Amino acid sequence: MSILLSDKTKVVVQGMTGKEGAKAARAMLDYHTDVVCGVTPKKGGQDAEGKPIFNSINEARQKFPEINTSAIYVPPFAVKGAVLEAIDNDIKLINIMAERVPIKDTAYFLAAAKEKNIMIVGPSSLGFIAPGIGRIGVVGGTLVEEIFQPGSIGIISRSGGMTNELSWQVRKAGLGQSAAVHVGGDLLMGTTYADLLRLFEKDDQTKAVVIFGEHGGGYEFEIVDAIKRKEFTKLLAIFIGGKFANLFPEGMNIGHAGAIVGRGQGAAEKEEALRGVGVMIAETYENLVDLVKPYA
Amino acid sequence: MNLYEWEGKKIFQKYGIATPKGVVVRRGEDIGKAYANLGMTDVIVKAQILSGKRGKNNGIFFCKNEAETIDAVQGLFDTKIRGQYVASVLIEEKLQIKKENYLSITYDTNKKQPVLIYSESGGMDIEDVPENKIKKFWLDVRNEKINADVPFSQELWNCFLSEDARVVEINPLARTEDGRFVAADAKVALDDDAFYRHEEWKDFEPRTMMGRLPTERELAVRKIDEGENYYRGTAGKYIEMDGDVAILFSGGGASIANMDALNKAGGRPANYTEYSGNPPREKVYQLAKIVLSKPGLRGLWIAGGVANFTNVAETFQGIVDALDELKPNFPIVVRRAGPFEDEGMKLMRDCAARNGLNMKLFGKEVSMSETAEVLVEMINK
Repeated sequence: MSILLSDKTKVVVQGMTGKEGAKAARAMLDYHTDVVCGVTPKKGGQDAEGKPIFNSINEARQKFPEINTSAIYVPPFAVKGAVLEAIDNDIKLINIMAERVPIKDTAYFLAAAKEKNIMIVGPSSLGFIAPGIGRIGVVGGTLVEEIFQPGSIGIISRSGGMTNELSWQVRKAGLGQSAAVHVGGDLLMGTTYADLLRLFEKDDQTKAVVIFGEHGGGYEFEIVDAIKRKEFTKLLAIFIGGKFANLFPEGMNIGHAGAIVGRGQGAAEKEEALRGVGVMIAETYENLVDLVKPYA
Repeated sequence: MNLYEWEGKKIFQKYGIATPKGVVVRRGEDIGKAYANLGMTDVIVKAQILSGKRGKNNGIFFCKNEAETIDAVQGLFDTKIRGQYVASVLIEEKLQIKKENYLSITYDTNKKQPVLIYSESGGMDIEDVPENKIKKFWLDVRNEKINADVPFSQELWNCFLSEDARVVEINPLARTEDGRFVAADAKVALDDDAFYRHEEWKDFEPRTMMGRLPTERELAVRKIDEGENYYRGTAGKYIEMDGDVAILFSGGGASIANMDALNKAGGRPANYTEYSGNPPREKVYQLAKIVLSKPGLRGLWIAGGVANFTNVAETFQGIVDALDELKPNFPIVVRRAGPFEDEGMKLMRDCAARNGLNMKLFGKEVSMSETAEVLVEMINK
């Protein structure tokens, strides 16, 4: 078992005729993921990466009613429309790769998704991977087989690069991953650390979870609540980057869009709150693996 | 982007939110004339800086005549407020305030929707106001009408939505002796990612939150990502700091982990810089050239994680172009892996050989934090 992906995952890529969309479709197909088709308005009837392109999700659905996951590779100004289209068509899992989506647009489609119980990962997400099962997006890139192997460590990261880097540290230590998810670095994120911890809790394969977190925003504090409510009871180790950020004035943005210097939201304050509920704190990111290795 | 108070107030006026009558003065302008034009006797003089707490830090003065006003404005131009350079000063009518309230709209990241916060205990940080004295209304961006029994709430909501704001805050929202509500201060942060919907944002004057004027190099880096391919890989982040280790990091997450690692290893960053996505060679070249042009550098750290899709060879080619041109003689440490890593490392190795650079290269077998220690050791040798 894993989370988010299974052998029933059927993917549509919105924006598959673009450069990044095509590259991602190829990466997914190469890692045994069933990408069934792409959608690009006005380009219906064409092919990309050997798969048919449709003008709309509605059209795609008529041919492929089993589509249950969408990966969104459209420019930022087209993201809101693309996501709303996926929501209207009841696609239950939507992964948004586009970066620099205006926050008002994100708030809009997150509100629409919530009403229909649709899960959105991102925006600004690189995607996610369940080793041995499949991947959405390009996690692992061309080195995917070198970095990933099925195992017991769940990985959550605010950073795309660090999703891969952490997964590599896990593999280097001789371990494997149950799933690795890049939640994206925006101020508003569709799926949070706590949401994923609840999924990892139910996943038998996962024994421990490591997280790459950042200063700014309040999402790490949701973890504290989830643990207090016993929604997550497995082993958790976290690294929170951005201690240096307190050199900068409040309100300043250092790192990802959501990493805004704010009172009570520094790396140190987050560590303290998490330590209080038994979470292991890593001094450096590579230290995360040392912390969970004895329990893997 | 964070706005100056006077800019925020100008935007408030568009939405029918009352603000005090005021005038902005800059260095070299006729302060006496500005005071006369305002036509008020009692005025308040406010330093325009991008951080709060001006009152406690000699950034705000009350004046009763022209001479006092000129003195106060001149004084603000001659000093720094909380270490911040004062670019302009706002001279405003002094309100007869009966009561100070608080009103803001910002995004509640846990609920993932905007929240309007109102309190009758204004004039201080909202974090210091007890919960039971605060009213919160969660809003849905899909609804233009709101239903909050709070002065200026609909106006502020219209402003928040139409201006693509991340934060709009009025503190204090003054209730005057004659019963009017007036925005005595304005804090507005705009969402940079919505810039394509706002032609008018181009007219804002340059700013930095670092408490000084943006440096020439900082301004030059901002231009790198401009143009229609703005979202295809970013290379436009550069903040100058006091240290001497030049930084070229890839990835937002790696960059903050590495800043912490460098500090821990005893190195002092000369800048904070991060490129991400899959920026083309040209963007990385421009960035690298500017990063390396800062005087007084004693080392360069080029570091990133195991890339997922960034083309290591293409981005490194951009850095190599800059190194070929500038041939720095200080130590350089590189740590990177990912697509086309072998080709990328070869580019670096060849560049070091033909220019006689003092460079050490590491792949994914060594962690990023460890290479910080290597660089600091090389610098201190």
